[in-house]
Amino acid sequence: MIPKIAFRNIFRQKRRTILTALAMIVGFTLLSLTIGLSDGAYGNIIAMFTRNRIGHIQVHREGYLDKPSLYKTIDNASAVGEAIQRIAGVEAWTPRVYGAGLGSVGEKSTAVQVIGVDVARETEATHFDQKVVEGSTLSETPSHEAVIGKGLAKIVSAAVGSEIVIVSQGADGSIANDLYKIVGIAESGDDITDRVACYLHIEDTQELLVLEGRVHEIVVIVSNINRVDKITGTIETQLNDPTLDVAPWQEVAKSFYRAMRTDQQGDAISRLVIMLIVAIGVLNTVLMSVLERTREYGVLKAVGTKPVQIFWLVVCEVVIIALGSICVGALLGALANYLFSIYGITYPEEITYGGMKLKTLYAEVNVRCLVIPAITVMLSAAVVSLFPAIKAARIMPAKAMRTH
Amino acid sequence: MEQAQKTDVIVTEGVTKVYEADGIPVNALNGIDLTIQSGEFTALVGPSGSGKTTFLNIISGLDAPTEGKVWLAGKVLSEMSGNELSDFRRDNIGFIFQAYNLIPVLTVEENVEYIMLLAGVPKAERHERVIAMLETVGLKGVADRKPTQLSGGQQQRVAIARAMVSEPEIILADEPTANLDSKTGADLLEMMRHLNAETGMTFIFSTHDPMVMESATRLITLRDGRVDTDETK
Repeated sequence: MIPKIAFRNIFRQKRRTILTALAMIVGFTLLSLTIGLSDGAYGNIIAMFTRNRIGHIQVHREGYLDKPSLYKTIDNASAVGEAIQRIAGVEAWTPRVYGAGLGSVGEKSTAVQVIGVDVARETEATHFDQKVVEGSTLSETPSHEAVIGKGLAKIVSAAVGSEIVIVSQGADGSIANDLYKIVGIAESGDDITDRVACYLHIEDTQELLVLEGRVHEIVVIVSNINRVDKITGTIETQLNDPTLDVAPWQEVAKSFYRAMRTDQQGDAISRLVIMLIVAIGVLNTVLMSVLERTREYGVLKAVGTKPVQIFWLVVCEVVIIALGSICVGALLGALANYLFSIYGITYPEEITYGGMKLKTLYAEVNVRCLVIPAITVMLSAAVVSLFPAIKAARIMPAKAMRTH
Repeated sequence: MEQAQKTDVIVTEGVTKVYEADGIPVNALNGIDLTIQSGEFTALVGPSGSGKTTFLNIISGLDAPTEGKVWLAGKVLSEMSGNELSDFRRDNIGFIFQAYNLIPVLTVEENVEYIMLLAGVPKAERHERVIAMLETVGLKGVADRKPTQLSGGQQQRVAIARAMVSEPEIILADEPTANLDSKTGADLLEMMRHLNAETGMTFIFSTHDPMVMESATRLITLRDGRVDTDETK
């Protein structure tokens, strides 16, 4: 009978019910959109950061990530790469070679990071060709060509067609130096990288650094970023090589990941504010409703309804409204997130996060943007209903029945 | 019908009630000592403000006395918790209010069965008893209506049916005929008198209605919160 009375009371006071439900629906939708946009923004950043730069998973010689060294190499890169490619969920892989050196164009010199890439694989895996904003990408065969970062080009006053001399140290202890023709200028989205990056064909780099077919890194791209941890484990199992480290992107870019997590936690404050607004709105309408029905609660108590049953009656009404509001809010929240995931919100000015430039904010439709608001609305509604419910339960029947 | 042996169903001892009205203490009841026996058809009379409603509220546990004790069916009300009081009222007392006080969102049948539902009476039995009681109070055929779809007299009949359907020991009625025309009032009074005679339920009315006073077997007059006269007919 208590749920029946609660249900009928809801329809009896339509205006009040609509007001209460509106507070909950608006709160749900706002919260859902906040989460959807936040997840979308971070998802976009992660996708850019991983897809265009570090990949989703990396394989190195043991200890390379903690202390990179020219000598910590993977000797059988092709065999390792092919084994990885066979694992379900792996989309692409690409080997890389790294070296530090001095780059000179004309009379200007600066420190450079030589990045040897397998042009075909790098293009497939990280869309390397799309980073080239001027000139052309590297040839797929070793041709002593270089693509340099935009910042580096500015430092050494280089342009497409200029020649760059790289001086470094070979793995055999010799002085490595060679001349490369700059065929393109690249923009990776990360200014720091662009100030030092000098991309060469992987075989040219191996020749320069005397690495004889060895590589420093194998970058793996997976088809679903949410399965990174599982695929990392599978790669480890399949390779079964204790001299190799397999690390997901969160481990490769620890500081970036930590900074992003901290930033995400900051969003909790905005969620808390929305939750408070919802809670105050609900509290206000429920309190009004209880005050208006003081006499009725008095009668219910007079005829034998226990205080605890009156308490549940009030809570029940709020919970029923909350359930209805969650259904409507879920529809609106999903729709809003879906629309923003397609059309996005264009920033008035390009913003930079973790070295990456963002122009448009896209939302993401996921389970979180429905489940978190649902739990929040239900919990806050239940919590704020406690006070009016206790108030109603403690009503003295004689006094209550004197009210009009 | 053979008269059942009479017992003391309500005993009050020095019941006093002081209200605060705008910070000024108002003595609504001033040490009332009364004993009401089972099967009585008692009318509490007296001018407005004499303490009739306050006394009814206190003997039913709807309000607490400032001083004094109330024994209802052998139990001391002030020693019961809120939940115990609710259960006690549900099982022992039926209320008839001047303003009917039906639950507006429930139908006539649901209003009448509400107390039995709280007491855990099975559905089939509830339905059977409600239909029988509605017939007794002359409300056959309105079980599915909401209180707002009924006249004042019909609503008061529903209130009487609600009060009596679970066969409580005591019926407390606060000005039950005040909002009714004289014919409806007389009909309902006759019906209650009949039920009193048939079932032996104890009826206590607060009233200004001479018709009720006439029907009562005991007339207690309150004045300024004290028992002024107490006559048994």
